[in-house]
Amino acid sequence: MSTPPPATTPCLSARGLVKTFGTTTALAGVDVDLADGEALAVMGPSGSGKSTLLHCLAGILRPDTGSVRLRGQEVASLGERDRSLLRRRSYGFVFQFGQLLSELPAQENVALPAMLLGTPRAEAVALARQWLGALGLAGMEDRRPGELSGGQAQRVAVARALITKPDVVFADEPTGALDQATGAEVMRILTETTYAAGASLVVVTHESSVADWCSRRIEMRDGSIVATSGVPR
Amino acid sequence: MNAVLALTTGPLRAPRRGSRFAPTPSALSVLAFAVTTAFGLSVVGGLLGFMGRAENPSSDLVADLAPTYVTLAWVAVVLLLVPLLSLGAAAARLGVAQRDARLATLRLLGVTPREVVALTVIETARQGLIGAALGVVGHVLLLPVWTRIPFMDRPFTAGELWVGWLPVGVALLAVPLLAVVSGAISLRRVVISPLGVARRQTPPGMRWWRALAVVVALVAFLGFMRLNLALEEAVIIGLILGFVAFVFGTLNLLGPWTLSVLGRIMVRRAKTPARLLAARRLLDDPRGAWRVVGGLGLASFVAGVLSVVPGLQALGSDDDPAGTLLLDDLVTGAILTLAIAFTVAACSAGIIQAATVLDRRREYALQQLAGVPVELFDSVRRREVAAPLLFVSLTSAAVALVVLLPLFGMAAVTAPQGLLALAGCLLGGCLLVLGATETSRPLLRSVLRETVVRAD
Repeated sequence: MSTPPPATTPCLSARGLVKTFGTTTALAGVDVDLADGEALAVMGPSGSGKSTLLHCLAGILRPDTGSVRLRGQEVASLGERDRSLLRRRSYGFVFQFGQLLSELPAQENVALPAMLLGTPRAEAVALARQWLGALGLAGMEDRRPGELSGGQAQRVAVARALITKPDVVFADEPTGALDQATGAEVMRILTETTYAAGASLVVVTHESSVADWCSRRIEMRDGSIVATSGVPR
Repeated sequence: MNAVLALTTGPLRAPRRGSRFAPTPSALSVLAFAVTTAFGLSVVGGLLGFMGRAENPSSDLVADLAPTYVTLAWVAVVLLLVPLLSLGAAAARLGVAQRDARLATLRLLGVTPREVVALTVIETARQGLIGAALGVVGHVLLLPVWTRIPFMDRPFTAGELWVGWLPVGVALLAVPLLAVVSGAISLRRVVISPLGVARRQTPPGMRWWRALAVVVALVAFLGFMRLNLALEEAVIIGLILGFVAFVFGTLNLLGPWTLSVLGRIMVRRAKTPARLLAARRLLDDPRGAWRVVGGLGLASFVAGVLSVVPGLQALGSDDDPAGTLLLDDLVTGAILTLAIAFTVAACSAGIIQAATVLDRRREYALQQLAGVPVELFDSVRRREVAAPLLFVSLTSAAVALVVLLPLFGMAAVTAPQGLLALAGCLLGGCLLVLGATETSRPLLRSVLRETVVRAD
């Protein structure tokens, strides 16, 4: 089963994705489209292939067959170096935990992706401070990850994901390490800020309450999409 | 405790990690313990050799000089003791780092903190014991090398330098013990938190009083030396040895503080991500950085001392065979000490970098997923080691030269061969240490391959 095509031209489009690990088929021919500004939740039990789908869409893994196109440009066949550059330039990432560098204060953690793209340090840090302020972390710019709560650290991660103005933000179980109230707050910030920044969002989760924050959701089982709900934004 | 024994042969055993080009952490730990033991026994063997000659002198000349040689050998033991202990401790930390994730999992499964400690004690002690046994073999294999080096006009025999079975037994007990103590300390975070999450926080700044204490001690020592310059040559040599030990202590006191100052300066000036990360890491853990480069800082200081020996020889008279022999052997002994110190420092640097890669494997993997190029980690590692390395080695050598000037006058710097030897030793040592850190390069790639691609 495939997702219906979104109403607008897709920002990210995957066709016929197949990925196997040894004798295990993680993706068995998946088609998925993501419109600009859309928030897509990918749900499913452990081993259903949702993280593999995210990794293929994000250029972390190369599918065995099938294509992934970002704004019409094929990205699945790119070499490792080019896919790494693509992730740096066009994508943002929010993981469950541990993505912030422990030795850097919050503002430098946020500034790092911009610096990697050539933004001068002073400019990148100023931009990072603006993002942190916008996400309610004013006054915490110099705190290190170990001095932030789980929710605060995830907000720093959201700022870090958005500072380079990506086309798509990928979030892999972004609330997995948080309590329900904090998780809801992080999802509100993630979806609202991503939408406001003009980026699309792909959230991998097994929690329905997290998926509720997204405009559309797909359900995966055994490497295939078995259900879809919601409409593209 | 049966469960503990079962676990040490099962899930706790670290799997083979990496490709044919990536050394396994277990192998690195064992190698480090072996190097520690081999060089430790060699240094003790040298001391015992000189003691043997002092007890049974072959000539009047040897009888006169032997006590001084024993003192010098003790100095070498003191100089190399801390770098060797640091290497052993680093090896233990590496051994624990590779089991961190499994130990944290076992904690979540209900294994008690006491059992976690017991598991680590058994596994780390086993590595220490294997390393110590290999080190004893290494000591034997190194004997033909040491027996080529003449002291007191003739090389030692292998019999003179063989430490004997009692010290071998002590090493086989002491090295695993060192491994256990160091490993247990490294384990604290796993025991404290079942999630194994490192709560990294801003470290307290290094205290300025360290610098003040060193300056006060230095001034007091120099004043003392000035008062005693009219003493006999043998007394002056004794004072020099005391001075070496003094500077050794002050370097270890001052080292971490100066590195924290260097880190602050580097953070302010950093313009690129690699420089910023390297600077932040240095500022984050100046004591850890000192553990890597401290051995070389010490070696550089010895090199600084060595550079004035040709100056001393130029001042000495040719009709004093005992004095000439002593100075010649002083140079030989200093070069030997330097070579061992450089080797140990390089081993420490390599081991600590490997442990860092394992400690930060999740962090590195997630950075790579987010598009951070793996080359950035390589660049950070080189800068992280190179900056304090160059700073410490050059500063230590400069301190040695400056401080020794009042003792030996300008003769110390007017004998160019001494300075050339100093420059050569610094260059060789720095290259050796930087080369040793490159061993973590294949390990990093191996860890990233293993961590990144994980289908759900």
